[in-house]
Amino acid sequence: MLDESFRILIAAVICWLNFMTVDLIFKLPESGGVCGATAIAQEVEKGGGNLNGGFMMGNIVSSPDASAGTLLASCGVFCAGLFGGFFAAVLVYIGNRICYDPGYAGTTGCITATLIVYGATQAGFAASDFIAGMVIAILTIQGISYVHASRLIARLWKVRCRLLRGCR
Amino acid sequence: MNEFVLVACTILVLIGTTAAMLERDPFNKLISLAVMISGIFPFIIDRGLLDVAIATALIAPLSTIFILMVCRRMPA
Amino acid sequence: MIAIYVCAGIAVYAALRVIFQRNTMRKLPFLNVVSFAVTGMIALLLPHPITIAAAAAYFVGSTLESNAIASTWAGGIKKDE
Repeated sequence: MLDESFRILIAAVICWLNFMTVDLIFKLPESGGVCGATAIAQEVEKGGGNLNGGFMMGNIVSSPDASAGTLLASCGVFCAGLFGGFFAAVLVYIGNRICYDPGYAGTTGCITATLIVYGATQAGFAASDFIAGMVIAILTIQGISYVHASRLIARLWKVRCRLLRGCR
Repeated sequence: MNEFVLVACTILVLIGTTAAMLERDPFNKLISLAVMISGIFPFIIDRGLLDVAIATALIAPLSTIFILMVCRRMPA
Repeated sequence: MIAIYVCAGIAVYAALRVIFQRNTMRKLPFLNVVSFAVTGMIALLLPHPITIAAAAAYFVGSTLESNAIASTWAGGIKKDE
């Protein structure tokens, strides 16, 4: 089978696509969910970034969304198989309700990630690859450079607005 | 726990403690304390103390929220 | 075995970025990366079914902490009501 570092890179790409798709479908870059997310977005814009990208970064910081769902789903599959992934989805829903969030994005991302990770373990990947891959994926969004990351999210948000209607 | 993870968690705790000493702003102090607490967790988990870890994970944010009530920023 | 090395390295890198970033609000995304990496380390260190609950409790707790810090910094508990 493939080398472990190569598998981690493939898992990072899969996790990135999963949580970005779910977040864009559930309109996270449209507005800040709580006032703390709006404050983070304004500071990112003041530092040279984009406002819509800042909204999404603030929403990821201030409530568990699809990225947290992906991470906890791969932890659940690593610890307890398919059942662990669905148990993690319940925990993500409870966490969303604690943080004043409707909780649709986190739960949907967690369930889709559970199915993807369980399918990948049948195909030769290990679930630990997906944990490390999700950490790398969140590093590229939140940890490298907030200016470039927010501009990238804003560009994807424009593409999503063109494909699916329903955003301002 | 092997040596690399041990050293990494120790570095996390030391970074958090040093920054909490040196910062002046109360919000930056709280963020440094959050870094320090996240460095403590792998040591608790490595001994198998899952119940202690769950209790600590729920108590630490509550204490932060109570401290935040004191240092609410006045509107300028 | 590389997976836990990746998590530990990213945790230390993000902690250094937290310290050297001067703006309070822009520190919070890096703190979020630290909590992601530590959640991964928790799950990788002890594969046991209750570890999922510990990892979720830690992650939700740190998210709630960031949420409270950002909301209080924005002066907004009274604004929400």
